[in-house]
Amino acid sequence: MPTGARAALVVALIYLFLVGVSSLEAGIKIMGADTQERLFSAVSNPIAGLCVGILGTVLVQSSSASTSVIVGLVASGALGVEQAVPMIMGANIGTTVTNTLVSLGHVRQSAEFKRAFAAATVHDFFNVLAVSILLPIELIFRPISGIAKWVSELLVGSGGTEWKSPVKKWVKEPVGWLKDIWDQLGASGNVKGALMVATGLVIVLVALALVTKNMKALVAARIERSLNAILGKAGGLVALVVGMVVTIAVQSSSITTSILIPLSAAGVLTLRNAYPVTLGANVGTTITALLAALAASSSDSLTVALTHTTFNVIGIFALYVLPFAREVPLVAATAMADIAVRRRVLAVCYVVGVFIVAPLIGVAILR
Amino acid sequence: MVLSFFRAGDSGLDHVVTRSVAMVNDARHSFDLACTALMSGADPQSVADDVRETDLRINANEQQLRGELAVHISVHGPNDIGEVIGLILLLKKIERVGDHAKNILDLAESGVSFSAEPDIDGLLEERRIVSGFFAEASEILAEHDGIPEGFRDRLAAMTSQIQSRIDGYMTSDQPGHQVVPRAVYHRYLKRIVANLNSAVLAATEPVRVIDSTD
Repeated sequence: MPTGARAALVVALIYLFLVGVSSLEAGIKIMGADTQERLFSAVSNPIAGLCVGILGTVLVQSSSASTSVIVGLVASGALGVEQAVPMIMGANIGTTVTNTLVSLGHVRQSAEFKRAFAAATVHDFFNVLAVSILLPIELIFRPISGIAKWVSELLVGSGGTEWKSPVKKWVKEPVGWLKDIWDQLGASGNVKGALMVATGLVIVLVALALVTKNMKALVAARIERSLNAILGKAGGLVALVVGMVVTIAVQSSSITTSILIPLSAAGVLTLRNAYPVTLGANVGTTITALLAALAASSSDSLTVALTHTTFNVIGIFALYVLPFAREVPLVAATAMADIAVRRRVLAVCYVVGVFIVAPLIGVAILR
Repeated sequence: MVLSFFRAGDSGLDHVVTRSVAMVNDARHSFDLACTALMSGADPQSVADDVRETDLRINANEQQLRGELAVHISVHGPNDIGEVIGLILLLKKIERVGDHAKNILDLAESGVSFSAEPDIDGLLEERRIVSGFFAEASEILAEHDGIPEGFRDRLAAMTSQIQSRIDGYMTSDQPGHQVVPRAVYHRYLKRIVANLNSAVLAATEPVRVIDSTD
């Protein structure tokens, strides 16, 4: 496909994505307050919310998609900022499953597997550590959502929960068409709301997957040049910015971090060089939720999207800028890779345990 | 480095091909200098640093470009797998040519000199032809138009000529100190020609092309 046509397709897909987010918001609003309460009472416990964020992201293999859905739910009023923040942090952990799964593809070659698994789990350890430190602080003092709210008010003003998003009016019409379609098919009340939500979810997931695929095709040569530039010689800050720029371009941290795994496995990229790229990817991936917030009508949705960015930036300051803290995920990932290479079944147990079993137990107990 | 994302430039494989052409030119430079040391009577030390630095540069480029090919596969997937395999082989062959040029220098440094040999003109002509093969290989790599007709035949004829010389040295009645250095030199020369042949083949036909209609 010619570059110009592909670029136009990406713009159209981003528009479709925004329609999906708006449809999701509209669907939840159609449902009654009782239904909303029943659906989202499970995440009133922050740890349960965190676990739901992990599970949801593991399910769709994309934190961009899951955080966009969370933004849509906040925009509808079904979720409050306090409930959404732990879910956003859970999404950050859940997204690391993709590159960990990619690393399992190297399981038959010990040396390769050790390097690949360390490169994958350094992202896991960083995100889990960041949540372990920042979630309790956030629950007690609300500094992260406080900063996000302050920035949000600077951007859209503090005139109540409704704000006139410039994008909202562009997507209003297609969302109206969707409502009409379900009306004509005889749906009403909660059923119509659920169908609108389902339609929105499908549109968000499909549009985002296609945006990622097409953007990757558009910028693949640029990604390649950037990665070549950092191979073995770039400092942490440069690698971090490259990770962020590449992720913003492809709208997926999983793509960025998964590219690093075969390079680390082959010994082309060191763990120390791969690590900051994953941190940049953490920040870069928050652009999608910010984009989703443009289609939402609530300033709270922008606050939640900004919380995602603020959390990742503060995480980097807390765990990467300080030299001692920087070593912790590296040491943990190396130790984990040493264990995994000796007992490979433990690597599989780790993935299933951390990303599926533990969050399921968390939701079951704490909801 | 971050700006490299925003700048336009060669795609990954084009960049590797451009750099590999430079590597062939480096290898030719090493070969010419090493042969000069062996055949002109000049002090080998006068060119030794240049030859060794060039060889190190070729080796470093090979390592770096192999890494870049790994990046290419990671980013683009297996679409260009044939070309990538070809380029990996190409880089290895060029690196070996560089090694053999250094081996010729080692021969000169060990005290061997052909400058006073009665057939020096023949040896110089042979060197000139092989050096010309480097230039032709560079053009083939740079132009992507396949291997010109007759090029591989000329390489094969030169390989055969060198092998005949080696066979002659093996059964020669001349003393060892006269024929052994020549046999060793021609062995290196033969490997250089064979590796140049493999290099252009790897770049133009990385995997054996089968007739899909068979």
